[in-house]
Amino acid sequence: MKDFEYIQPETVEAATAALATKENADWATAKARVFGGGQDLLGEMKTGLEEPSALVNVKWIQGLGGVTQADGGNLKFGATTKLRALEGLFSSGAFQVLSEAAKTIGSPQIRTQATLAGNLCQRPRCLYYRRPEAKCLKKGGDECFAYGGYNKFNAILGGGPSYIVHPSDMGPALMALDAQIEISDSKGTTEMALDDFFTLPSDGDVTRENVLRPDQVVISLRTGLDTPSEWRSTYLKFQERDGFDFALSAVALSLRVQNGAITDARIVLGGVAPRPWRCREAEQLLLGSMEAASLAKRGAAAADAALLGAEPLEHNAYKVPLTKGLLQRALRQLTA
Amino acid sequence: MSTTPQQNADELAWPAPEKRRSIGKDTRRIDGPAKVTGMARYSHDVRLPGMVYARFVTCALPAAAIELDLTAALAVPGVVEVVRVVGDSTLYLGQPIAAVTAETPEAAAEGARAVAVTLTELPWAVTAEQSLAPDAPKVNPRGNIGRERTQEEGDIEAGFAASDAIVEATYTIPIQHHSCLETHGMVVDYRGGDSAVIHGSVQGTFALLDGPPDSLGLDASMVEGDVQHMGGGFGSKFGIGIEGKIACEIAKRLGRPVHLMMDRETEFHASGNRSGNSVTIKAGASKDGVIQALVADSNKLGGLSGGSYAGLPYVYSVANFSSTSRSVYTNTDGNRAFRAPGHPQASFGMESLIDELAYAIGKDLVEMRLANLPDDEQHSVWRRQLRRVADEIGWNEHPYKSAPGPHKVEGGREYVEGIGFGISVWGGGGYPSCEVEARVDREGSLIVSVGVQDLGTGSRTLVAMVAADEFGLEVHQVTARIGNTRFGNGVMSGGSVTTASLAPAVKDASNKMRAALIALVATNTGKDASALSFADGGVIVGDGLRVSWRDACALCPAGGLTTHGVFQKALQSSGVHGAQAARVRIDLVTGEVKVLKMVAIHDMGIALNPMAVRSQIQGAMVQAVSYALFEERLIDADLGIALNPNFESYRLANVHSIPEMTVIIDDEDGRGVIGIGEPPAIPGIGAIAGAIQNACGVRVRDMPLSPTKILIGLEELRRS
Ligand SMILES: Cc1cc2nc3c(=O)[nH]c(=O)nc-3n(C[C@H](O)[C@H](O)[C@H](O)COP(=O)(O)OP(=O)(O)OC[C@H]3O[C@@H](n4cnc5c(N)ncnc54)[C@H](O)[C@@H]3O)c2cc1C
Repeated sequence: MKDFEYIQPETVEAATAALATKENADWATAKARVFGGGQDLLGEMKTGLEEPSALVNVKWIQGLGGVTQADGGNLKFGATTKLRALEGLFSSGAFQVLSEAAKTIGSPQIRTQATLAGNLCQRPRCLYYRRPEAKCLKKGGDECFAYGGYNKFNAILGGGPSYIVHPSDMGPALMALDAQIEISDSKGTTEMALDDFFTLPSDGDVTRENVLRPDQVVISLRTGLDTPSEWRSTYLKFQERDGFDFALSAVALSLRVQNGAITDARIVLGGVAPRPWRCREAEQLLLGSMEAASLAKRGAAAADAALLGAEPLEHNAYKVPLTKGLLQRALRQLTA
Repeated sequence: MSTTPQQNADELAWPAPEKRRSIGKDTRRIDGPAKVTGMARYSHDVRLPGMVYARFVTCALPAAAIELDLTAALAVPGVVEVVRVVGDSTLYLGQPIAAVTAETPEAAAEGARAVAVTLTELPWAVTAEQSLAPDAPKVNPRGNIGRERTQEEGDIEAGFAASDAIVEATYTIPIQHHSCLETHGMVVDYRGGDSAVIHGSVQGTFALLDGPPDSLGLDASMVEGDVQHMGGGFGSKFGIGIEGKIACEIAKRLGRPVHLMMDRETEFHASGNRSGNSVTIKAGASKDGVIQALVADSNKLGGLSGGSYAGLPYVYSVANFSSTSRSVYTNTDGNRAFRAPGHPQASFGMESLIDELAYAIGKDLVEMRLANLPDDEQHSVWRRQLRRVADEIGWNEHPYKSAPGPHKVEGGREYVEGIGFGISVWGGGGYPSCEVEARVDREGSLIVSVGVQDLGTGSRTLVAMVAADEFGLEVHQVTARIGNTRFGNGVMSGGSVTTASLAPAVKDASNKMRAALIALVATNTGKDASALSFADGGVIVGDGLRVSWRDACALCPAGGLTTHGVFQKALQSSGVHGAQAARVRIDLVTGEVKVLKMVAIHDMGIALNPMAVRSQIQGAMVQAVSYALFEERLIDADLGIALNPNFESYRLANVHSIPEMTVIIDDEDGRGVIGIGEPPAIPGIGAIAGAIQNACGVRVRDMPLSPTKILIGLEELRRS
């Protein structure tokens, strides 16, 4: 590991000021990194994938962690809120998806260190990306080795030219709650839909997974549901090994139920695309009565619609039936 | 010190069950507290004044010409030396090419990263297909295919003619890593001068005298090898390896203690593995379940080494068969012994085939096995054992005996359960090797010393137990000194020979000590030695006499009493059978396999420490779950690079994966002690594979039996 400067600001202003160097305006030249729980960043530094010259630890910033009330019954989560704190918060209702997603991540030790923002900004786990000797597209090379190689864990939706899947479990969960993300730099603060934060390799910088610049800090995440009390949600993740593993596929599902009928829905998939994958058409198919037989039929139709555009690679065709099955199971569980 | 007459008091035999005092009783390991509190010092933990830390730079390609520029590495602060450890080119992926030595582990790591390596790729093969291709590069100068062996019996054509159903299938097993908790390596304590101490993570203490003295340029008698605790070997740590040789050379050059333990990534690709295997079988059975003919052809994938394979029809008796196997070489690290080398591979193919044949003729899976197990007296034990595990796992009440369970999600059912079976065979006898010294002093301490290592199986505890039993002492009253070349010869922990080689020699030394102490008391009291014996608590009684342990020991000469024990053939035996059953639950939505329960029965003669026996068998079952469901070494076949040399993506079973386990110790045969380390590692994977098919009809023929493959299999069944 290369030597680096360790900066511990106590305010957002001090943090963004420390990041506001000329070279930090662009990922190609940036040498400073925001440091959350370090559960991903330290691993990248150990394997030589990242060699920052400065780390800006944001965990000492007052008020950057914790949960507060937001408009209309929504909640706001500070960027440095620990996953361990989230996992026990909600056992029912609109926000249950957050606790369920948090619980599936890594191990208790990892969750005790890991922050919410770090989880959203973590880098891909693609086996090729993680091997320093494979100079793949993600690392400025000119080939996605997974595409024609060992791609059991790679994307079936939204892939190309890179076929990574986004590894975050909190991303799909937050998107299922219409979350907004708040971002600061030395010039000020902006907010955008989390949906607009994540990018596909085809529509943005192929070496990144989101629009964040290296001189920016994620400040908070805010849910944006209309009348959260009418919503319920769940997260189903399937991992090859039960515990301490990333998703082969995951479904974040939230439903608005009014007068015994589903009036609104969010379906966001994890582990199958280079970003948390929202399924807008499938969501529409879920609307309607809660009668079991009808719901099962609509669930099957929604599952088909969600995977309509899937283009499996050589070793990941299983993700299609898996994701369809998980979506229908999530629907059964949430409406039982 | 005086040496007492070395005759036995009476015929050496293990006491009858009711007379056993320490042996035969569940005994916790005496070094357990030291291990769980971190007090136990492994080789990795050794820190010495002036010590330097060394690590390897390895080759990222399967074969390459190597050019090194060491300038930058030598300039890293703290780096002491950098040496090339390879010739012009490499032969396998992950081969060490340079060793960097530094004042701290961090500086060594930084130095290793700073070594500028220019690889010029040479032609290579990492898969069997690549190695067998017509234009394949020569992996082995004598050809890419090793010697072919064929075993044949009977009339195969007649056998197929007599068959009512024929199954043809190919079963493959990937290369498995040993995944020792403590990586390979050693600490060489040499500070100039004419002596050295070596702390090595090896599974044979005396391996530390095989090579190091030469590398250090020292007389073997001046080198002490030490293995107090070691973090697993499973067959991969018989020798000192390149890591041991290089560590000694560095120490010799620098005259300073050297710490060279492989980092995990190097460990994955340069410290051995269990060979992979691919076997294509065609077999036929008649309606009564008897396998009439079997033809098997297998490739052993042991990298640069030959691989191992126990051959088919494995434990079953088939009248007409032909079984061929050959080695296929690739540019990867050679295989080494690994818990029952070659047996799990053979068992997986054979048990899978039996299941498939049974379903083809509609036969109960247990009946099918009974129809094909040898029916002579000696092997009747398998039938008894199979029936026992079948009862225990709930076979009688199980709905899917001769046809697999359902594969459709229907009527609210999302899960289905299945059961599978496996049978094993092993040797496990001992041989003359261990030289044990028992010593008693006037203060009453009993010290039993032998150089043998404790691989983690509980050998240290065994030494104390066997000695304690002889005198009716508590196990903790005996001091067991092991794992050092200053003590008498030991035995390598391999082939399950340790316990059967060690325990008889400890018993022999203890028995002689018992005779010596009784003789001493008899002489001092004028009683007849033949009337005296040890009661509980080490008290000598008889002929109206009662002498406490301490009082008896106080009669010793100033130098105490010493006896010497060697192997006693009559105390051990050989030949371990076994049967295991697994019950799994399949999630029909995700393909997830949850192993709910495993049952194992094995015979091992007298179970000296039943707790240690159960622990071996449980560990083997956990290893089988891991091997069957998760483990797979990945190398990109186009790039030739390692994809998962770490515990994140080389998956091992974790605590959630561990099933309920029932261990039945089959010790009814009255035989002497036999080792049990390896046999239980054989039948589990076949049983799990069988249970999966039994549950949902999907036969996954290539391990690991991943949910992703099961899901595809379920989809195919639903479509057909
Ligand atoms: C063994 C293991 C298993 C894991 N399993 C899972 C899993 O199942 N699911 C899952 O989702 N993840 C998993 N993770 C990945 C991940 O490390 C954690 O989920 C964690 O949430 C990362 O958060 P952190 O605070 O530690 O991030 P860090 O490692 O500190 O940072 C990660 C990235 O985010 C950036 N960053 C951090 N905070 C901010 C901020 N406030 N503003 C801007 N940028 C920021 C950093 O610069 C860095 O690029 C696993 C990791 C390991 C090592």
